[in-house]
Amino acid sequence: MFKQTNFSQPIIGLLSALLLSGCSGATRIQLESSFPALLTEPREVRAAVIMSPEFSEYIATPNKNMTLEIGASQRNIFEKTFRGLITEVVFVDNLALIEEPQDIIIRPSVVDVQVAVPSENYLNVYEVWIKYNIAISDTDDNPIDSWFMPVYGKTASSFMLQKDAAVGSATTIALRDIGAKLSLDFYRIPALKTYLDARWQETAP
Amino acid sequence: MKILTLWLALLGLAGCTTTTTIDEYRSSNKQLTVATNDSVVLLGRRDAGHYETDAEFVDCVGNKLRSSQLQVIPEQAFMDALYPWLEPRTAPKGLMRMRQLMQEPLVGEAISSQSIRYFVWLDGSTETLDKGGSISCAAGPGGAGCFGFAKWDKASIYEAIVWDVSDYSEVARVRVDSEGTSYLIGAVAPIPLLTPVKSDACKSLGKQLQSLFVAD
Repeated sequence: MFKQTNFSQPIIGLLSALLLSGCSGATRIQLESSFPALLTEPREVRAAVIMSPEFSEYIATPNKNMTLEIGASQRNIFEKTFRGLITEVVFVDNLALIEEPQDIIIRPSVVDVQVAVPSENYLNVYEVWIKYNIAISDTDDNPIDSWFMPVYGKTASSFMLQKDAAVGSATTIALRDIGAKLSLDFYRIPALKTYLDARWQETAP
Repeated sequence: MKILTLWLALLGLAGCTTTTTIDEYRSSNKQLTVATNDSVVLLGRRDAGHYETDAEFVDCVGNKLRSSQLQVIPEQAFMDALYPWLEPRTAPKGLMRMRQLMQEPLVGEAISSQSIRYFVWLDGSTETLDKGGSISCAAGPGGAGCFGFAKWDKASIYEAIVWDVSDYSEVARVRVDSEGTSYLIGAVAPIPLLTPVKSDACKSLGKQLQSLFVAD
């Protein structure tokens, strides 16, 4: 006897599953990028960089459907960057852990994270902006400057690239921009430049 | 049925073709000599606001050049070795800035250690120019299927600019412009007739760049 196979049930099941997963829309991107060391000549400065546990485990929520776990990666790139810019640098979780006097104390923090996808920006690119605040203080922890540093990354959209992979790639490029931005501008921050020039004159033989 | 098959075959033949134009400029008629130990590096320009030269395209052109026995340094490895001086914010836009960068001892050493003779900057993107038609898919207890017709035009426009690091000069420019139309036909099952515009641009640009260089 001829037996008729019913294909409709698996197809309906598959389409329902696809619809359900498609409608949930929540994207969780965990970034564990590692970054290269900077090809720069560090300057003779003693510094402590305070990266709190909140900063090192930071999870951004640029919108209600997306979380970006960038804490470990941003800590990694800040460490690499400051090692490339400063001869003697220590990284600590809080001020109490600084053992020796430093020329400067640096506290990076995240101010804002924004993401734009092709359906929003009408471009063929995924974009990520991260705005950091770099608070710099002197030996006695008196504020020298509070410097806002925006970094940016984008990645081309392509047929095969999924949204989370594209946003992850744009975020990695934005984090790489930290090294570029600080290499160009860190020692040009006017208040820091004035402070370090004065300090070098004081200590010059 | 025969008419439909014939129509699909004609559409396939007509639809899957690309039109590619290549423009080349050289500062002299001489071919660019590459010594046995010399290398070429291909880098994508990523400072434009509205598009991004994708790494996939840069890799594709690099592979075409590698097939002609040229030593081509992988883009990401080179960017990492020179980090942060080839990031979108810091990459040299002109030869004067390139010269300044090379004068930085660490950067100059890093480039010399890899025996880089030529920098090839790739700039461009693949964009969808126009879309038309519509296709809808439905599923019911009796089965599922797609019906309709959709088409879209794509264009890949890329420019390669070749710098000779030995004398900080621009030695050539090659521009490739590739266009084509892709179709999607819904005749119960969706039948894609895709035109490989980007792949064609990569092949054409790779071939043209191959003809520029000659082993010394």
